[in-house]
Amino acid sequence: MPTSAMIAIEAYGLTKHYRVYQKGEGLWASLRGLLRRRYRLIEAVCGIDLQVERGEFVAFLGPNGAGKTTTLKLLTGIITPTAGTARVLGHIPWRRENAYRRRFALVMGQKNQLWWDLPAADSFRLHQQIYGIERKQFERTRDELTALLGVRELLDRPVRELSLGERMKLELVAALLHRPEVLFLDEPTIGLDVVAQYNIQQFLKYYQEENRTTVILTSHYMKDVAALCRRVVVIVAGRIVYDGSLSGIVDRFSRYKVVTVVLGNGQPVPSLARFGELVSSQAPRVKIRVPRPQVTETIASILREHAVQDLSVEDPPLEEVIVEVFSQAACPQSTTRGEAPAENPATA
Amino acid sequence: MRPAEAIEKRGKFFARRLPRAGGGFLYRRLALWLTILQLSIQERIIYRGEFFLGALMRFLPIVTQILLWAAIFEAVGTVGRAEIQGYSYRQVVAYYLLTMISRAFSSMPGLASGIARDIRDGTIKKYLVQPVDLLGFLLLHRIAHKLVYYVMALGPFVLLFYLCQGFFDGWPAPEVMAAYVASLVLAFLLGFYLEATIGLIGFWFLEVSSLIFVFLLLSFFFSGHMFPLDMLPIPWREMVAVLPFQYLAYFPSAIFLGKVSGEDLWTGLAAQAIWTLVAFILARIVFRLGLRHYSGFGG
Amino acid sequence: MAVVWTFARNSVIREMMFRTNFLVETLASMLWVGANIGFYLLIFQYTPSIGAGTGWGRYEFFIFLATSLMINSIVHTIFMPNADLLSERIRTGLLDFVLVKPMDTQLLVSFERLDLSTAGNFLVGVVLLLFSLAQLGWTPGLVPIALYLFYVLCGVAILYSFMFSLAATTVWLGRNQTLYDFWFYLTIFGRYPMEIYRGTLGTPLRLLFTYLLPILVVVNVPVRFLVRPLYPQSAADWLLPGFALLATLVCLWTCRRVFTAAIESYRSASS
Repeated sequence: MPTSAMIAIEAYGLTKHYRVYQKGEGLWASLRGLLRRRYRLIEAVCGIDLQVERGEFVAFLGPNGAGKTTTLKLLTGIITPTAGTARVLGHIPWRRENAYRRRFALVMGQKNQLWWDLPAADSFRLHQQIYGIERKQFERTRDELTALLGVRELLDRPVRELSLGERMKLELVAALLHRPEVLFLDEPTIGLDVVAQYNIQQFLKYYQEENRTTVILTSHYMKDVAALCRRVVVIVAGRIVYDGSLSGIVDRFSRYKVVTVVLGNGQPVPSLARFGELVSSQAPRVKIRVPRPQVTETIASILREHAVQDLSVEDPPLEEVIVEVFSQAACPQSTTRGEAPAENPATA
Repeated sequence: MRPAEAIEKRGKFFARRLPRAGGGFLYRRLALWLTILQLSIQERIIYRGEFFLGALMRFLPIVTQILLWAAIFEAVGTVGRAEIQGYSYRQVVAYYLLTMISRAFSSMPGLASGIARDIRDGTIKKYLVQPVDLLGFLLLHRIAHKLVYYVMALGPFVLLFYLCQGFFDGWPAPEVMAAYVASLVLAFLLGFYLEATIGLIGFWFLEVSSLIFVFLLLSFFFSGHMFPLDMLPIPWREMVAVLPFQYLAYFPSAIFLGKVSGEDLWTGLAAQAIWTLVAFILARIVFRLGLRHYSGFGG
Repeated sequence: MAVVWTFARNSVIREMMFRTNFLVETLASMLWVGANIGFYLLIFQYTPSIGAGTGWGRYEFFIFLATSLMINSIVHTIFMPNADLLSERIRTGLLDFVLVKPMDTQLLVSFERLDLSTAGNFLVGVVLLLFSLAQLGWTPGLVPIALYLFYVLCGVAILYSFMFSLAATTVWLGRNQTLYDFWFYLTIFGRYPMEIYRGTLGTPLRLLFTYLLPILVVVNVPVRFLVRPLYPQSAADWLLPGFALLATLVCLWTCRRVFTAAIESYRSASS
């Protein structure tokens, strides 16, 4: 049990509901909308419990609209929760005390805060004043960060002339100028090319290790998460469905192992299908998906009945498992229908 | 959904539904027009709050104008006059109320700036690719816009004129009324093509917002929206007479009030028609030249 | 305050990058002002004053017009672009970044941008004011000038409060075009001397726009200190300025409340 001094973020039963106006299709519906509006309740976040220690690098994973960003917005005090409590660095975020707001930073890949028509240097100076950063320290931090990200020479160019990747790097610099203790990153690499994505990853990794900053990251890119975070929180439909290590997701959620068999000459490939679902077969190499409890037994049978040159057992790829987790948790009622590969009559 | 996108979708839908051989050109055209109308109406209705408020608020300045003119005529009375250039207090107010109707026909909020924006962000390309005529489409869109506006504003307008009936001397003669209605329709078309032309200048100059502003200003001032143009001193009065703007507000109202009559009425109406035709041809030419210029530069 | 200064500096730099546009816009808005002055010049061709015995003769009225110009110019230069930006940010979710800044959010969103295109009107106002004073042959003392300036600021504060309260309602109402229309039509009532609001229609309006939505005190109160016939002479003449001060405070307070409530219900659209 971590002591309270070590805890950076804690949330209990954090909940956010929205009411949205539902617009009908067609002329008649819009006429009716004139008289009476229909609203729909959106449960963006329902009862999130979370504890993050100082210096942790945590990823929020989840499908679109699962509530990752909403959770982030609750923790940064941008929105006020419907229910539940949270404390970040001992502050209640949505009170928006200046003392709290000086201690964290927020970067969003889809929204930028630098002045579009001005060079980043001007926006930085504004930051310095808003955060009341002492001049020497400001210049030191700025030079250090721009050097690390290799964007020093971009400071005097109007932001609108920069590429998305360059802009994102400058956004990061802006966010880190006041040396925040907690950094919230919402899809920081969205839309970036592989190189820029990699650079930002490497920067974040280095920066976080150097400064022991607490970082919460939401991202769609498994690569970001795999490279940066030891701890992963999977949020689906506004609820946390998993909280642990990245590799643990596979153990926890994957009900299969992938068995690869290289058959001896002349062995009939299709016959392997009865041991499990065929993933691929490029003779003589066959891959099948086998439910976990039956792995040992299946291997024994295969070895008994076929001439096998080589055999290996692996976990399915992480991405696949994640997709599975997302789709299952997102629509729990519909998991019994359809013929998605995730479905297995043996376990259903 | 932007209307253009909606039209695109709906257009495909109609293309599928309409029999290719049968139906014929006219039917297809009509169906398209109806769809454009319907979608545009729908688009307008969605913002209901805006609508009612918008229609009501447009009447607020009338009150201050009535009060202002009352104060002016009160002071004019102290120097022994009851009229300004042939307009009594009641007539000025009646004139002002009538220009509200004229402007309801001839003003085209957002038309020029909308065209300029479409040119700037490249949305205009759609019309180059699709078998839809831009000016025709915009005209229909505008008619829909106006129709919805009239329907929604009818109540407030009736109420307003009921309350203000004391400022009027009853209805004009039927033929004057017919001329009035014709003049309003022409005012609508003239306003549409004039403003469309201004917007189309965006083909050459990407930033035309200031130009649009100057145009609106001229049209506002010289259309006689603020006061009867007869009140202008001579050199100005002559200048205004050779500009098309007076037909946007002053002329229809003057017809209604009987300020132009007999031969003047019919020559005026003819002049308005000629101006409308000129504006129509001008818009067409500018559109064609603009397209050529645009595609020449690769957009 | 350093922050506000940097905001202004950045805005000016930005504005100067589009210099031709800036010049054309300035000219266009001055043209508009010219048209307005032209209208009243025309009116005064036919009448000695606006309203009989009200004291609003040509130059008295032009002082009124000049003050109205100056106040509106300040509001349009400083607060209109920011109110615009505020509702735009509410719609697009970009308010997020403002909310996480360690500064008062309202202060931050009120002064960030400048729109210099109507700033020229302020100069037109000053010129018109000085010209009209000269025509009247009258030099006001220091105290009236100080009171005039103070109440001009009060007027700006009242308009600011209305504008930002309206902009903040974007949180609940979404699209905001009507709000600007509303703003426009509301402020129109403040552009005339109070004396024209008379009779069965005018009196209730005067009461409404003085005491409920104090748009009428914005220009009318400061001008009273500069224009001689209306200069406060008895104790009763001080009631209106006293009320204007109270109204300013109430407006600012209400605006603060509305703004805070709006921030509380802000939903942060993610685009």
